[in-house]
Parts: sequence; C-alpha cells; structure tokens
Amino acid sequence: MSLVRFGTSTCTPVTDDTRLRDRQLVHQCLAGDALAERALYDAHVERVYRLMHRMAGDPDLAADFTQDTFIRAFERLEQYRGDSSLATWLHTIAVSVALNGLRKVKRIRSTTEHIDEATALPAEPGRGFPADLKTRLHAAVDALSEKLRPVFLMHDVEGYTHEEIATSLGIPVGTSKARLFDARAKLRMALAAFAGDHIA
Amino acid sequence: MNDDQMDELLIQGVRDYNAPRDVPREEMWKRIAEARAEARRNVAPATPAATGRSQRRWLWPGVGVAAAAVLAAGIGIGRFIERGTPAPTAPVAAATPALSIPKSETPDTAAQTQQMIEALRGETRATDQRARDLAAAENAGRASSTSSGNDRSPSANAPSAAEPNLAFRLVMLRHLAGSEAMITAFRSDARRGDIDREMAQWSRELLSTTRLLESSQASRDPVMRRLLEDLDLVISQIVQYTTRGTTDPEELEFIEQSINKRGVMSKLRSTIPARGIPAGT
Repeated sequence: MSLVRFGTSTCTPVTDDTRLRDRQLVHQCLAGDALAERALYDAHVERVYRLMHRMAGDPDLAADFTQDTFIRAFERLEQYRGDSSLATWLHTIAVSVALNGLRKVKRIRSTTEHIDEATALPAEPGRGFPADLKTRLHAAVDALSEKLRPVFLMHDVEGYTHEEIATSLGIPVGTSKARLFDARAKLRMALAAFAGDHIA
Repeated sequence: MNDDQMDELLIQGVRDYNAPRDVPREEMWKRIAEARAEARRNVAPATPAATGRSQRRWLWPGVGVAAAAVLAAGIGIGRFIERGTPAPTAPVAAATPALSIPKSETPDTAAQTQQMIEALRGETRATDQRARDLAAAENAGRASSTSSGNDRSPSANAPSAAEPNLAFRLVMLRHLAGSEAMITAFRSDARRGDIDREMAQWSRELLSTTRLLESSQASRDPVMRRLLEDLDLVISQIVQYTTRGTTDPEELEFIEQSINKRGVMSKLRSTIPARGIPAGT
C-alpha cells in the first residue's frame, strides 16, 4: 500500500549553495555577529516551531522547546560540521529537546489526563470526516510509542524525507522506513476499530 | 472499508493533528537573545573600559624583537612543511620574504617537527596564560580605582595605564606569530590530508586566546580588532575542520577562500614587525 505524503513539505534540497550559505552563516555567528544569529533564527524558526507544536500539542511547550533548540544550537555552533544541512542539524537538536521535554511532561501528567485532553479536542466539522473518529485517530497518534510517533509526524504530517528523519533521530534510513510502516499499521488498526460503523 | 478508504481517512484525520497556528517569532527571539546575552556576559572575561587615551599604532619595533624568537620558530616549521609539500604553488611560502632559517636549524625528521610544534604550542599556552593574567589584572585595577574614588590626576593614572598597554602589545604580537605558524602548518598538513589531534588542540587553544584578546584592551586599535575578528573566523573554521579529523577538499577550499578573501596572512605579515628581522636574532 502506498500512503501519499500529505504534509506541508518545506524540504529544500541540500545543494552546494545551501551548504555554502549555511557555512557562511555559521561562521558569521561564531564571529559574534548578532545579525547573523537573527538571520539563522529567521531562516529556520518556522519549521522547527511547526514540528515542536506537532509533537507537543501545546503552544507554550512548543515555544519552550523551540527556544531551547536555538539556545543550544547557538551554544554548540562550533560543533556543526557541515556534514548535513544546517536545518537537519537544528532538527537533530530540536527532536532531542522535544523528546526529553515530553518525557518530563509525561511524568507530570497522568495517562488518564492525557487521554481526556485528547478526547476533548474540538472536532473540525465538515469535509465529511466524522468528528469522533478524528478525535479517536488523534488519540491513537498520541498513543504511538516514542519511537514511532516522531517518525510518523515528521514524515506523514510535516513532510520530512526519510534521510532527514534518519539524521535527526540518529537512526538508519531503513529504520525510519520500518518505523513509519509500523506507525501506519497501528493507526490503521485504530481506525478500523472505529471506522466501520461510520462508513457502513 | 478497503485500504484506500482507510488511507483517505488517515490523511484527512491527521492533517490538523496538533496543527500550529501563528509562530510567536518575536516573543521567542526575545528570550533567546536574553539567554545569549547572559551567556556572553558569563564567558567574556574583561571588557575594556572606554578611556580617552589616544590609540597608538602597533608597529612597534621594540616588541618585535621579543616576538622574533616565536616567529622564527613559526616560520621555520611552516617553511619546513611547505618544502615537504608536493604542491608547487604554496601561497604562504611564495609570499614569504627573504627570511630564512639556517639549514642547521631546520628539522630533519618527523620527530623534530613534532618537537617544534610542541614548542610552538607551549608558546601558545604561555601567551594565553599571560593574556588571562593581564585581563585579570586589568579587572582588578579597574575595581580598585572605582572603589578608591575618581582620581583623574595624571600622576595617579600614567604608570598603571602604560604598563598593561605595553604588555598587551607583546602578548598580541606573540599571539599573531603563533597564529601565523599554526595557519601555515595547517594549510600544508591539510593539503597532504594529514590532520591530527595535535593540530586540532593547537587551533582550539589559539581560538581561545583570540577571543580573550578580542574582549581585552588589546582590541582597542581598530586595525588590530579587525585582524582579531578575521583570525577568529579563520581559526574557528580550522577548529571545526581539524576536530572532525577527516579530509574534505570542499571545506578546505572554503577555509582557503576565507584566508585569501580577508587577506589574513598578508595582514599578519604586515603587522608583525619581526618579519624584517633576520631569523635567529
């Protein structure tokens, strides 16, 4: 089965020009150029924030994770080797920040509260998609494991490539594909349990 | 329901999963900028106080004599490595004026080369330590003058103002000589694809000293400040390259472009007065 990627893909191919620009920007930042730091932030903040929001589901948490990502990135900019694009390098930090942050949040929130929040999501009317089915699906995405959920969100919701995901998560490309396959399978199962009645 | 219908449902259902609305761009940047400013305050050792003293030029022959020993060693290692490089067009060697190391002083073996690099690194560390001591003394002096009131009389200020300035110049020139030696050695090593941990460490030490000097009174002279900024950029690139430890012609070319575009080597040569002093003096 082939699931069409439907995320808002903002991927840009990593060309020599991109890498050159990345390096120049990084070197300017390392030289203490505050304008370069702002330029780096402006170039990447939107995509980082989008992913953080998809993962956290909360604007405040997303903002916290995004801030932490950039603060850490600026602190570690000397470690950027240019092996991957700056965007991918930033996302490696972002995903790590988000996963660690969400673990802390999870410890605080109980599972019951989490499910209640998911089921309390406002259902979007129209488009022929049953509202309760959507809330169930969202809850099923919430319930995906820590390994499967980021891959699913990055690939199928935000439109990242498997190469970007693999680099960001520090896993092989094959593992990224396998995790996506597993995530989709789990979601289809969750859907199947509820969809039958609505469709029939 | 078949697979296609299921996929369609999945597509529709997750499209607005945790969908972000407006990005609070400015709000987040404000906090990031605050955190960055705080980090800089914690790292920067000493910011020179603005004074009305006139800035002097750095081409000061007396200090050059003291820097000559370091410089001669730096050029010696650089030239030795250049001679061992197969590439016929070595820009550093080609542009080097008639300053030569006596044949007996050139290293004949890798072990001797290693010893010379060790000696240069030792100089780098000593220079860095001296720069830190001066920065600390400068801070202490400023604190004591603040606590003892605003005594602006020339007799109170003149001796203490002259000494640190002189000392900073000496440290600065030593640092420039060490930087030139490292960049020369790096270019040659990198062309041969021979980058080791030693070089990575040496470049990191020099970067640390460069940044220290950038935030000290040594950078009052605008010419020196620009040179330190250029060095900061180039040495940062070298640190990244050498830390990685793998050969990357594209990255190397990028570093070479930075060095040439900013005229780092020619600026170093024109700034260090010892260039005109025969080696060995």
